[in-house]
Amino acid sequence: MKDYRIIFEKKGISKYISHLDLNRCMIRAIRRSGLPAWYTEGFHPHLYLMFPLALSLGTESICEVMDFRLTEELPPEEILEKLNSALPDGLHAVSVGEPHMQATDITAAEYLVKLSAPEIPDLKSVLENFLNQPEILIQKKTKKGLKEIDIKPMLTIKNIDMQEQNLFLTAILPAGNDGNLNINVLTDAFQNYADKPIFIKSACRTKIFSENYQDFF
Amino acid sequence: MLNPAIEAHLLDVQKPSRYTGGEIGQIVKDKSDIAVRFAFCFPDIYDVGMSHLGMKILYSLINERENYWCERVFAPWPDMEEIMRQEHILLYALESGDEIRNFDFIGFTLQYEMSYTNILNMLDLAGVPVLQKDRGEQIFPLVVGGGPCACNPEPIADFFDLFILGEGEEVNLELMDLYHKMHQEHASRSEFLKAAAQIEGIYVPSLYETAYHPDGTVKSITPLEHAPEKITKRVITDMNQVYYPEQVVIPFIEPIHDRVSVEVLRGCIRGCRFCQAGFLYRPFREKSAETVCRQGVALCENSGYDELSLSSLSTSDHSQIEQILDKLLEYTEQEHVNLSLPSLRIDNFSKSVLDKVTTIRKSGLTFAPEAGTQRLRDVINKNVTEEEVMRTCKIAFEGGYTTVKLYFMMGLPTETDEDIIGIADLAQKVVNLFYDMPDRAKGKLQVSISTATFVPKPFTPFEFEPQTEKAEILRKQQILKKAIKSKKIKASMHISDVSQMEAVLARGDRRICSVIYDAWKSGCKLDSWEEFFDASRWYAAFEKNHLDPSFYANRTRSYEELMPWDHIDYLVSKKFLIWENQKAHAAQTTPPCREYCAGCGANQCLGRPCF
Repeated sequence: MKDYRIIFEKKGISKYISHLDLNRCMIRAIRRSGLPAWYTEGFHPHLYLMFPLALSLGTESICEVMDFRLTEELPPEEILEKLNSALPDGLHAVSVGEPHMQATDITAAEYLVKLSAPEIPDLKSVLENFLNQPEILIQKKTKKGLKEIDIKPMLTIKNIDMQEQNLFLTAILPAGNDGNLNINVLTDAFQNYADKPIFIKSACRTKIFSENYQDFF
Repeated sequence: MLNPAIEAHLLDVQKPSRYTGGEIGQIVKDKSDIAVRFAFCFPDIYDVGMSHLGMKILYSLINERENYWCERVFAPWPDMEEIMRQEHILLYALESGDEIRNFDFIGFTLQYEMSYTNILNMLDLAGVPVLQKDRGEQIFPLVVGGGPCACNPEPIADFFDLFILGEGEEVNLELMDLYHKMHQEHASRSEFLKAAAQIEGIYVPSLYETAYHPDGTVKSITPLEHAPEKITKRVITDMNQVYYPEQVVIPFIEPIHDRVSVEVLRGCIRGCRFCQAGFLYRPFREKSAETVCRQGVALCENSGYDELSLSSLSTSDHSQIEQILDKLLEYTEQEHVNLSLPSLRIDNFSKSVLDKVTTIRKSGLTFAPEAGTQRLRDVINKNVTEEEVMRTCKIAFEGGYTTVKLYFMMGLPTETDEDIIGIADLAQKVVNLFYDMPDRAKGKLQVSISTATFVPKPFTPFEFEPQTEKAEILRKQQILKKAIKSKKIKASMHISDVSQMEAVLARGDRRICSVIYDAWKSGCKLDSWEEFFDASRWYAAFEKNHLDPSFYANRTRSYEELMPWDHIDYLVSKKFLIWENQKAHAAQTTPPCREYCAGCGANQCLGRPCF
């Protein structure tokens, strides 16, 4: 029995697979791959599979994490090859190894967002003005109704870069058990802030961090 | 290939992967190599259609041909439909993303009557004229239909170029071959239809003329242009030789039935008189145990699914069911696959079968006694006795089950109040049985009874029968409610106008086409979804066309009356149906086919007795 952690990409149409559906999709892929998956014991044995951090529907990623167990140790290349041969378009395993950290160690994630707004001539300064506000308030749905929260303290902006018609924003947001901010919340807030339409052309998770911005693995 | 216009809106709709394609198992071909393109349309949403076994079979079958390409199409959920209409996105096939209006065939599977408005809506969304007569002389797209409801295609005849009667594995390819040839010869639509009408099992409604008596019943159905007088359904004679897919498309979202299925047999030996499928799919034919096991294992291996269903009208009637289960369980237990038998019958539900299934998964048990008293069960030829119900429940309780669902129908021919009270009595006896067992399972007992309104269907011995009117059903429901004494019995009684509409559409004639058209025009769609069905729109459509739904649903039809589907031959003879109807009224049963051949006539296609 051996634990493995897979890093995989979720790109293209696979970004429309919801988290629950991804779980079912991966179980089937592992079963098709012929890898000797480990099943839980007990009355209803099931294939052991764990995603330490969920990804919201519509966001792409180059750094998704999936943990599973094999009944025997296999060379990493063999695991990757077998799994990739069974994955649908857009899902692709890039590396595999022994997990070093716990899901609870996750603290943050980095995203790259591509935006465009044909009706806004200087999108970069509009975004900068938006981010420079003293607070960025959003409405959050809770059990007790809508609650207003300030997301500004949660944001770490790494880079803003205009390339031709597109604006690229790299931001680090809290992720994991101690607070999570969905990238869509930030982009929605920006869309609401601007008075002209802004299009989110793509959003991609590029890194998952543990404490002190160490790469999670 | 996903169209960017669609992709731009995918995050605005629920379950976007309904609309993307790209699933494992989908078949993508190079368009330049393709001679004939077939859009296989399921007239309901993706979640429903992707559960349908027939589509999986025919999709793979067509795609086995190198130069034919079959793709999948489903009805969009209203959120997506709104976007499509706003953005002028035409209905497309999932594999290529291409608009289906340019396909050679647009084929609809006709699984239930309440999907008919979806067909019109999908044609409209595709930019294809809804009415056949408006499609002009260009040979494509041909709008074709098949599946169980094609047995009475008259209510939807105006919307289709042709119907495919019976099993499609052979005739679909014959039809496509003829098209391929005639398309190359630049034939027109009407030339093609005339030629197609000569293929056995192909019904071209525009080549038939219906005349009516002054009282509204059908006077005659006359073929034109040398079309055959009778159109006979197609049957596959050897279930071990017929094509069956060993890989299927695996949806990202969870469809209604999230599993792979092996069809183990076709037809049914039981002869329940209300059951249309039991007559439509005759004669009874089995796959060998070897074939079933081989196909089941291949499907699991290729798909990665962890649930395998043995599907048919009555799986436990397979003559080798024990061998099949023994052999498959060797594989499924080792590979962590759940084996499910969705259609167990109450009377031959043996302890050993139950043991085998429970080793895999425990869930509630569902039985369908259909009627509350023995007399009425004899009338409908549901050859199940109270002792059998009790014996099965006892086995189930001993096996640790604590929930039992019992399905009944209301409004069956000859039904009295006593039969209704019998439903409550039977449920009560099940409750008593549980509490009388000293070694009963721990846990709370729940006996659920569910009643549906009986809908008389063509090609059954009850095709002559009136459907019970709504007021009378409501009265009977009250009687049942009063008769239930135990809190362990939960009754769910659906009343809806859907049943009457279903009865009209099932036994309607060609005049119903304009009712369906007007109902759709006034906004009817997704009628099988409770939240969308709107009876008032349907009634308005009847009024507009000066037609009375009760003429179709609630009238007793004489044995002599010409039925709107009498030019269509499903091999079971009318004489047999009349005889069975008479026996029903005398509360006489007919034994299962395996015990005694009742002479329905379906075996004529085999050229031998069924058993």
